[in-house]
Amino acid sequence: MRYDSVTDVIGDTPLVRIDAAVHGLRNIDLYAKMELLNPFGSVKDRAAWNMVRDRIAGAAERGDTVVELSSGNTAKALALIAAMHGLPFRSVTNRMKVPEIKDLLLLLGAQIDELPGRSECLDPDDTDDPLTRMYHTVSADGGGYLHTDQYFNELNVDAHTHGTGREIIADLGGRAPDYFIACVGTAGSSTGVARALRAHDPATTVVGLVAQKSDFIPGIRNIDEVHEVGLFDPGTYDTIEAVSSDEAIDGLLTLVRRCGTLAGPTGGGAYQGAVRYLRGIDETLTERRTAVFIVCDRVESYLSYLRERRPELFQQPARAQTLRTLTDGDLAAARTIGVADAEEWIDKESPLVVDLRSPFAYRALHIDRSINIVDDLFGEMLHGGLPFGRRQPVLLVCPVGEKSARYAALLTRMGHQDVRSLAGGVIAWRDAGAELVRD
Amino acid sequence: MAPYLQPRVDGDLRSLLDDRVWLHRLVDALGSPVNLVLPGHVAENVRRFRAVYRARHLSGHIFFAHKANRSQALVRGLAAADAGIDVASLGELRNALAAGFTPERIMATGPKSREFLWLAARAGVIVNADSTTELDALAGILRAHALPRVRVMARLSGFAPTGANMLTRASRFGIPVTGLATLWEVLEKQRDLLDFHGVAYHLDTVGLPEKAAALEGCLHAMDEAGRQGLSPRAIDAGGGFGVSYLADESQWEAWTTELTGAVLGKRPPLTWNGHGYGLRNEGGKLRGMLSVYPGYRTIAGPAYLDRLLDTESATHRRTLGTLLLDSMYDLHVEPGRALLDQCGAVLLRVEEVRDDGHGETLVRLAGNGGDIALEQHGVLMDPLLVPRGEPGPEEPAGVYLTGNLCLEADLITRRKVFLSRQPEPGDLLVFVNTAGYLMDFSAGEALMQPSARTVAAYRGRDGWQWCLDEQYWPVTGREETA
Ligand SMILES: Cc1ncc(COP(=O)(O)O)c(C=O)c1O
Ligand SMILES: Cc1ncc(COP(=O)(O)O)c(C=O)c1O
Repeated sequence: MRYDSVTDVIGDTPLVRIDAAVHGLRNIDLYAKMELLNPFGSVKDRAAWNMVRDRIAGAAERGDTVVELSSGNTAKALALIAAMHGLPFRSVTNRMKVPEIKDLLLLLGAQIDELPGRSECLDPDDTDDPLTRMYHTVSADGGGYLHTDQYFNELNVDAHTHGTGREIIADLGGRAPDYFIACVGTAGSSTGVARALRAHDPATTVVGLVAQKSDFIPGIRNIDEVHEVGLFDPGTYDTIEAVSSDEAIDGLLTLVRRCGTLAGPTGGGAYQGAVRYLRGIDETLTERRTAVFIVCDRVESYLSYLRERRPELFQQPARAQTLRTLTDGDLAAARTIGVADAEEWIDKESPLVVDLRSPFAYRALHIDRSINIVDDLFGEMLHGGLPFGRRQPVLLVCPVGEKSARYAALLTRMGHQDVRSLAGGVIAWRDAGAELVRD
Repeated sequence: MAPYLQPRVDGDLRSLLDDRVWLHRLVDALGSPVNLVLPGHVAENVRRFRAVYRARHLSGHIFFAHKANRSQALVRGLAAADAGIDVASLGELRNALAAGFTPERIMATGPKSREFLWLAARAGVIVNADSTTELDALAGILRAHALPRVRVMARLSGFAPTGANMLTRASRFGIPVTGLATLWEVLEKQRDLLDFHGVAYHLDTVGLPEKAAALEGCLHAMDEAGRQGLSPRAIDAGGGFGVSYLADESQWEAWTTELTGAVLGKRPPLTWNGHGYGLRNEGGKLRGMLSVYPGYRTIAGPAYLDRLLDTESATHRRTLGTLLLDSMYDLHVEPGRALLDQCGAVLLRVEEVRDDGHGETLVRLAGNGGDIALEQHGVLMDPLLVPRGEPGPEEPAGVYLTGNLCLEADLITRRKVFLSRQPEPGDLLVFVNTAGYLMDFSAGEALMQPSARTVAAYRGRDGWQWCLDEQYWPVTGREETA
């Protein structure tokens, strides 16, 4: 396959059947619409390109900035497209909740504008709403912005009526599926696909999935927020259901571990929501039905989101020489030394003084001639064995003498013969009036 | 199900409210409204903040932001506890000194008059300056009156998170972090008069990322100060740790969803005249922003501080709490609302109950929106009904609460509140957990209506006792037997 531009690669994604042994539905064939295979990685590639394709040349001539309210996939696609045309891209967002996506946008050269959190000491008559202010600036004609306005732009829906929806019908041999299930963010994909399917067969059932309130699934809205969306029309959906982030992650794990599909949380949510919705129907069926859900994007951008919610998925293998394996006996065997004695010891024997604090704090003030190895790094070094000889005298220093005592215990257990921890740490040292330097 | 927003009531406050007769006697004696404060509980809140410090080996003061309540009893209760006080006016400073706070436990913040600066300097409290001009003015006063050197902190503003451009509400307060050169110049010039203690911020936001960016910004400013040859010791992280007012998250979720429905015309209004609390209906779409205090918060008060200190610095890949400790800096905080969590209630008597002719019940109270500032601060919660006689069977009632001013707008809250049953004249409505900002922040004497008396409740030999606010001192009379 040869293309002139990467934007020509957008769309025509495959429809892949999910093995019945995985979903357990007996009378329903369940298909995944693989939007994650779009060139920029998500369902939003279609909307992004459709919203700018006729305006980008003009914008390039004027040198406009492309701007969108998005902290996710739309921003990513627009950043790439804008950059291809030599235009800057600004992403305005409430909060960049997914650090990988923020880093990625920065890598792509986007400018990120974050809106402030809600006021703690509230003035209910405050009219200074930064979002409204922002909206006025970017929407003004001739203001130097190409504002794609994805929550209100019909071209977002169009992309899916003409693309995603028609492709599904074609891939099912000219039939619309009996059930279509999708997560709702801007409502562009679900509305567009629903239009195409219903035009073909008005009996198609459309299920919209939103996030549970006070829960967070990146890319989709909760049941209240959805009413803020210009493209959202409750009439589009036969039913709207909530999925929790827990369910979304369960679904994601099924897709990545059993279906060879690297789905992100909303793909997982759509799968789990689909199976939950279809299970009841399945039991009453006597003939075969088809259902389609959308896998919106890929899992790789959500590792920290997953780590925060399911830390057990990322368990590191156990290691032998760590602070966690210290016993009370190990701790009791460690030697500490007070400030006055430590000063004398340093004078007489010049022990290696290791300061375990952060380089930032060390640089500001430290004990003269000490070296700085931040505790995390020191811990890493000890996995490989002692980083100095057994008889080399060592004084360990931390802020209050707690961490240094633990490392002294670990070194002693590992066979070191002359390690001491500064009692009370560098704070006791300072408070005793002993010398600290900044070099 | 009636869309209740039932308040969270814990500990001492709960036990006090269980005594119906006691509460009625109090209002009978003093008239409605009565402000009730619990000076004993505020010390408990200080301990909870302190526990966050201990767990991290951090030192520094917990300065109570006096502006949250005028009560003398609360201030004296704090003077007896392990706390300092943040004063923002001449009057507050005098109150603090009179309550027994020693100067090193007092921090003067906010915009300052010359009189305020003079007394702060004369008493030797820490002056937290809003601008370099203020530092110069302070130095001028010190020189003119031959006063000793004063500890100063500099409030900073305009912090940006890494990698993004923050569209913050412009703050009128603080020295922009991008222009610290002038600060160093002033501190150098006034070196013999101003003893530089460290940098400060206070951000009026519930957003943790903004506060984390500010704290990290302060760490960098301290580093820069060190390179300028200064040796500051402390960072002041201001207030804004918040309170969770409601008992049940699902009620908050249900109510906000119902409000959305009401604004879109899908259900009958939940508010007076269909007020949307910032939300509007434009052609069937929801517009605007819900402009109320988040009633239920999973992380508030000491837990919020804990979370802030656990936030990892993007530049140093270490938590902010660890960086503070590594750097040997003291951490000061100035919580107002959070230190007063569960420390008070406002009691109002029901004067009249009537139908407004359109099917709504209006309950007129002996007090007004100035006595209980729910509406002004956007805090939404139901009061508790304390009946005069024996309580009858429960039967939820949704009512609107009006005040004693002859103003159409004098509603205690524009929200329809839900009570366990229809109230009757003579019953009390108790607005719990209102000590922080909701009690006397803006009380006045409009129409010569009486303003609330404040009383302090404390545990005595035979259960709960009370005295007038100004009579309270943290002594029990039993010390000599100890
Ligand atoms: C990851 C992810 N899933 C789902 C959606 C929802 O798609 P739509 O905006 O078309 O409703 C989006 C887009 O906002 C998204 O980024
Ligand atoms: C400088 C300063 N510190 C502390 C506070 C107290 O804030 P909170 O009551 O939200 O903790 C305020 C509140 O306005 C303030 O302005």
